[in-house]
Amino acid sequence: MFDIEVLLPDLWDILGAVPLTLAMAFVIFVLSTIIGSLFAMVEYRRIPVLRQLVVAYKVAFKGVPMVVVIFLAYYGLPSTLQFLTSLVGVEYNGHSTPNWVTLIVALTACVAAFQAEVVKGALNSFDTGQADAAYSLGYKKSQLFRRVMLPQVIVAAIPDLANSFMVIMKALSLGFAIEVVDIFAQSQLTAALNFYYLEAFLVAVVIYMMIAYAVTQIADRTERALRVRT
Amino acid sequence: MDLSIMIPELLSALPLTLAITFTAMVAGFVLALIATTFRVRRIPVISQLADLYVSYARSVPVVLQLFVAFYGLPVLVGVFGVEDFVSPTIAAMLGLSLYHGGYLSEVMRPAYLAVERGQHDAADSLGYTFRQKLVRVLAPQAVHIALPGYGNSIIYLIHNVALVMYIGAADVMATAHLVMERDYNQYQFETYLVLAVLYSVLCLVAWLIVHFFELRSARFAPRATPARTALMASV
Repeated sequence: MFDIEVLLPDLWDILGAVPLTLAMAFVIFVLSTIIGSLFAMVEYRRIPVLRQLVVAYKVAFKGVPMVVVIFLAYYGLPSTLQFLTSLVGVEYNGHSTPNWVTLIVALTACVAAFQAEVVKGALNSFDTGQADAAYSLGYKKSQLFRRVMLPQVIVAAIPDLANSFMVIMKALSLGFAIEVVDIFAQSQLTAALNFYYLEAFLVAVVIYMMIAYAVTQIADRTERALRVRT
Repeated sequence: MDLSIMIPELLSALPLTLAITFTAMVAGFVLALIATTFRVRRIPVISQLADLYVSYARSVPVVLQLFVAFYGLPVLVGVFGVEDFVSPTIAAMLGLSLYHGGYLSEVMRPAYLAVERGQHDAADSLGYTFRQKLVRVLAPQAVHIALPGYGNSIIYLIHNVALVMYIGAADVMATAHLVMERDYNQYQFETYLVLAVLYSVLCLVAWLIVHFFELRSARFAPRATPARTALMASV
């Protein structure tokens, strides 16, 4: 029913997929945070036309399940890339796009919508009295942003950013549908070789929980180190 | 691809999807209440177990949780003497209930803790029993704080019901795959677009219902929200 002897060999097999998963998660995290910050700045500054476009983007990508977006990207992205590169005049066979590129693009598009909310919340938590004080002291807008706003906004955003890193880790498990092997896919492959499914999945569960614990600890310590307390 | 044939066929799988969603919502809500109770009032061993449960439900991918439920359900039922019990639908309901319960507990806990300490003290001083205090004073305020997060968790639940096709439950996503395979995988992009619209409509309906209750519960929000400033360097 439940075999303890396969747990250790399964663990070594599944740990082999951890570096690739963490690398992909990190790339998606950085890209989606940059794009999400751009969206959040557009909403914060209330730029007329772009703002409605950003809202439409958020509604579209938050309403559709990520697995459906991944499939759409898998069937739509190669031809789109081929078309776009042909406009510029470059010869590119879209169907040679690696699957992990498609996965990264799809997940970045989905998570950017959530990151926009996170950064918007962090921007709203900024105390405008400090902006008034800075202007009265002669700060320019760019100086205000760089020296006063940015440190506080980053600290305010850290818990939600850690949360979205875990969301990305979980979303990467859907990559198995397009042949990108992450921790969960590796556990399925390992289990398929010796038919001890439950043991392999429990090993994967433990690995995910340990990664979540590590991420939360890093986020907590970073926040505590950066937050200024009066 | 004939939309007039495909859409009724997809909609025929909708009852199962909705059944799984509602079961997970109700069972998850009950689980979340229990888990939140044990996480707020600390009892030596059970609180750590509740913390572990919520950590599992939030950090492990939902696909993996569904697979654990699917492969663990026969083992679990075997303890009670029923042999060879394999049902993807029941496993999906179990897995999604556990997931939703853990997620919801992490929405309820800050909402409960955000109600001012003063309300507890005032209610106690007026002689309310714990149940009266909970129902008449704390719950309306906590519900108002929790509802946006609750709406979010319902939407994530609807997203994650799409994943039950991986364990063989015949919901909308699985039916769409059958439809696509029947046409030799020609119309995958269009079919996925139809699916995207269908899920967006489901999420929109859920959001509208929760938003209606959000607006209604605003009656119970304290009028003057106490200014809670984060500890930042002041000028």
